[in-house]
Amino acid sequence: MKFMIIRKADAETEAGAMPTAQLVSDMMAYNKAMIDAGVMLDGMGLKPSASGGARIQFAGGKPTVVDGPFAETKELVAGFTLIQVGSREEALEWVKRWPPIDGHGKVALELRQVYEAEDFGAEFAPEIREQEAHLRERAAARD
Amino acid sequence: MRFMVIVKASKESEAGVMPSQQLLTDMGNYNEALVKAGVLLAGEGLHPSSKGARMRFSGKERTVIDGPFSETKELIAGFWLWQVRSKEEALEWLRRAPFDDGVELELRQVFEMDDFGAALTPELREQEKRVFDAARSKRP
Repeated sequence: MKFMIIRKADAETEAGAMPTAQLVSDMMAYNKAMIDAGVMLDGMGLKPSASGGARIQFAGGKPTVVDGPFAETKELVAGFTLIQVGSREEALEWVKRWPPIDGHGKVALELRQVYEAEDFGAEFAPEIREQEAHLRERAAARD
Repeated sequence: MRFMVIVKASKESEAGVMPSQQLLTDMGNYNEALVKAGVLLAGEGLHPSSKGARMRFSGKERTVIDGPFSETKELIAGFWLWQVRSKEEALEWLRRAPFDDGVELELRQVFEMDDFGAALTPELREQEKRVFDAARSKRP
């Protein structure tokens, strides 16, 4: 099963503070441990909501765009790590090993399970399922 | 440049309501257009937060709080990762997305290696590239 570890934003990430050399190095070691265990699928950090961020709301089929920054820091996300594990417990074990110096020891993380093709049932018709698998392959080839 | 398109959670997504066949079809066609244009790199949907957890760190303490989480507007229901030339191009694609009323999305730019400056030494940069290439090669 796949899980996403969401690293919530804080005042520093929203201010665009770059990680220290120590944090970069600890994060790399953590990523490497997850890769060696065959767990990590992807990961990325997001720029502050002021740098390129926008919100889009649909009403009557029409989108309205509001540019960042957004004030509610605790509602924002600063990064994602996508993992593949055997159980939710295993996922939690990996989350516990997140580098403790991140966020000066007070980092807030959220773990969420990712939908997979078999979760969709009959609505996910064979043609749609095939199209989805095909698109995934082509999208991944570009990455 | 890469952007993450975050689909915010709604009452339906948090209740675990699955998309109709019509929406799955529309979304499949939209994804197909994104792939054809070379924009789509990845995308995933998330189960409701009732299956999720939050972890708080304090010194050596790790506290797990199981979901569900009540603040629906703080939650995420899914994301896309796009490669585009500008924020405007990302917004143009978003305008074509097959979403109903009330759906809220957030567009956020992704950090690239060049953004990290001197903290990302040549050795770390090399390691990062190796590690991420290995991770992505595992992806279906």
